[in-house]
Amino acid sequence: MTQPAGIDPRGPRFAAGITAVLLLVATVLALTGISTAQSLAQRALDSGFLLLAVIAALFLWGVLSPTTAPWAVLFRRSVKPRLAPASEIEDPRPPRFAQGVGLTVVTIGLALHLIGVPLALPIAAGAAFIAAFLNAVFAFCLGCQIYLLLQRTGLTGRSAPAA
Amino acid sequence: MPVSTAFAIAGALVVLAIVAGFALRSFDGRRRAGGDLRVRPDDLDAPLAAPATLVQFSTELCARCPQVRRLLGEIAQHHVGVDHVEVDLTNRNDLATRYRVLQTPTTFLVDSSGAVLSRWSGVPDRRAISAALTAVPNLHPQEQR
Repeated sequence: MTQPAGIDPRGPRFAAGITAVLLLVATVLALTGISTAQSLAQRALDSGFLLLAVIAALFLWGVLSPTTAPWAVLFRRSVKPRLAPASEIEDPRPPRFAQGVGLTVVTIGLALHLIGVPLALPIAAGAAFIAAFLNAVFAFCLGCQIYLLLQRTGLTGRSAPAA
Repeated sequence: MPVSTAFAIAGALVVLAIVAGFALRSFDGRRRAGGDLRVRPDDLDAPLAAPATLVQFSTELCARCPQVRRLLGEIAQHHVGVDHVEVDLTNRNDLATRYRVLQTPTTFLVDSSGAVLSRWSGVPDRRAISAALTAVPNLHPQEQR
């Protein structure tokens, strides 16, 4: 399988920065929001739940079509022109997989919250926040590392390493 | 839960993330033992140097490989008998498995028989490599090539 074109590594980090802020807000909303003892309809209308659902949708967008995702577009149009040209490029597959990891964690939190599990929402949002923060600030991509590990064990079905 | 408590938890979360970030950063590029790994000369484009070779594992789309390439190239230039060899893992998953390379760049310090003396994942510290080189037997004092 041929390698896809490389991407500017700062793009995913920029997106992770915005996502981290949103996730921190969602965590606070989830902590102060409605208790899971309320009815299903009320749990679904909790502000933390709604924001986290929006974040999940953004993660899904990032998995299905990374180049058209909002933060990627914002980066290309408004941020990248102001930066020095990218000195290095990276494989887009691990960051794309990382979006999927974020989607999975957040979706589990949303589902558990609807079922009525207490604290599912802030825990999921908090965990996802830490991963997004590490990516944005320290350039450490947890999802990418998971992808590479899976690849070494052959589970992703690829013949060539991605990074 | 009162808002102030929620903010306190959020603040603690940020602190936790910062601590985790610095911890990860300190592990990155840290020297580890070579284990019982042995580099096969056939896997390299160039012969193993005596007394030591710096083997760098890279892939085509690797953000930090160029800077490690420059670093290792400079170190090799300043030490007689030390060469810098690069292995492209882009289409060689078998090599990645054989040498247990989980990320690129990964650097091996290899003696003339192929035994892996030390390994670094991520960007290695220049001084750490120099220190590892001093432990290599038969290494001449630093001289310009």
